[in-house]
Amino acid sequence: MSVKLEKVVQTWYENLEQGKITGKKCCKCGAVEFPPVYACNSCGSMDMEWTEISGKAKMHSIVLPAALSSKPEYKELGKYAYGEVEIEEGARLNAVVRGINKKKRKELLPKLPVSCTAAIYQRDGYKTVVFDLDEE
Amino acid sequence: MNQTKLNKYSRSVSIIGVGCTPFMYTVDNPETNGLTEGELFGYAALKAMEDAGVNPQDVDFYFHGEASPLNGSNYLTPNIQIGNWFGMKGKGSIHHSEACCTGYLAIEQAVNAVASGKYNCVLSGCVEFGDSVPAPFGPNDTIETPKHPYKRDKMTMDRFLSTTAWLYDRTYSRGLMAPMNLIYDDAAEWYKRTRNITDQEMDDTLNMMAINNRRNASVNPLALERKTFEEIAHEKGFATAMDYMRSPYNPKMGDFLRMEGVERKCDGAAACIVCATELVEKYMGNKTHKPIEVLGVGSAACEASTPHFEVRATEEAVRQVYEITGVKPEELDIFYANDFIISSHLISAEIAGYLPYGEGWKYICEGRTAYDGDKPINTNGGRTSFGHAHAASGMADVYECVKQMRGEAGEGQVKKLPKTAMLRGYGGAQNVAAVLLRTID
Repeated sequence: MSVKLEKVVQTWYENLEQGKITGKKCCKCGAVEFPPVYACNSCGSMDMEWTEISGKAKMHSIVLPAALSSKPEYKELGKYAYGEVEIEEGARLNAVVRGINKKKRKELLPKLPVSCTAAIYQRDGYKTVVFDLDEE
Repeated sequence: MNQTKLNKYSRSVSIIGVGCTPFMYTVDNPETNGLTEGELFGYAALKAMEDAGVNPQDVDFYFHGEASPLNGSNYLTPNIQIGNWFGMKGKGSIHHSEACCTGYLAIEQAVNAVASGKYNCVLSGCVEFGDSVPAPFGPNDTIETPKHPYKRDKMTMDRFLSTTAWLYDRTYSRGLMAPMNLIYDDAAEWYKRTRNITDQEMDDTLNMMAINNRRNASVNPLALERKTFEEIAHEKGFATAMDYMRSPYNPKMGDFLRMEGVERKCDGAAACIVCATELVEKYMGNKTHKPIEVLGVGSAACEASTPHFEVRATEEAVRQVYEITGVKPEELDIFYANDFIISSHLISAEIAGYLPYGEGWKYICEGRTAYDGDKPINTNGGRTSFGHAHAASGMADVYECVKQMRGEAGEGQVKKLPKTAMLRGYGGAQNVAAVLLRTID
């Protein structure tokens, strides 16, 4: 497959509008780039195809928001934390995970990594992806 | 993660001259209010040339670093606008910005230019107005349309924080929220979890880094903040500096990070002269100080959606430079880390092996990393006390490191004359550099 000039970003956001969370899967080594980009960061292949992610994920670290690391509009998230999230397809990213406060963190720390699930979240004018802590 | 294997330089390159302005809030002081980009950069550049023993006409090319030239100077091509100020009119130049890592990659740029053989002697300087912006002239003017030739206004924290969003990927990372907000606490969380220390131990370590930085700055005439936390604690009625640091006077601003662990943004400039080591005698003339060889520079970059971006990029940059130079961590005599978020200071020193794995926090809490300790770090005071003139800070670390290696650091001189040094640059969400320097005997 030759290199294409492609609107990957717009497609990703349009897929979210349709309720689909997508990434790009490497046709050579199978690694998934999430969010999607042109080339594979695992093997360097330029041959990538769209793939829908399952939404299943693991959270590996927990940082709670504070004065410097929050904004008034984030209140709409409810209880949340930031952390390293690994999706089932293997990609890792820094993401928001809802359902965690100080008390919950204390309980979760000895159990890391903990399961969470991707969700589509409406921001001002566009949708993005956050994760929800799974019920035990 | 991708890795890079470095090749040896085509020829050795050494730092022969350094210059640095005081780091300052220019607008707050009538003596400095009104200073311009050309005056700050020009001062640092000419001091570096004077220190090296070279004339501006001896210098073949200059690199100019400024993190945010449009915001701080209303310039797109800041290297050109100041090009007549230090006797190098007509010489070629390049502007570069890697945000807070600029001053470290400024060494990389200069060394590459000389090591390639293209130039023999190069100036690399950086300037930043981190605490002020060009002043609007009338009611219809904005920060984007200043008309006064030199007046500046204080940069408000709101203005500063709104521009830091420019450091992050607009397509995904800003929308995902976590990438840009993890910069404050990710490294502390990683260290605490992987080294299995308590919240209190982590908090005390963060506080002690700020205390040590301030002790270092207190004996540095170029530093921004020079009153020790012991003095401040005494004034506020606390028995010890740590009591003060644990108090509401030093509130939590992050999950782990307290106020005194955050940079003091300010204004300043710094510069150095590098030349081919084989030509040192030709350029330095009757100067007697020893040249400092740049053994190598490792570099890596992790966009902010990458988990533990600072840790991963530092691991790779350090790995590269140790591999190409053959230098071992135990050979390091002094260490610098860009610590605008103070946890950087701890985690980068451990990743580089300057402090032993899992033990670095103890060294810090015992005061061993202050300028008079056996493992000195950030002897100029770091970003929390020397100040953070964003692009210029890395070059100010180079200035301080070279002064220490020559034994010219005055009251703040470390006990054992350093022969080998590492500087870990970090910034711009996130570029990382690991610079290895060694004195040539």
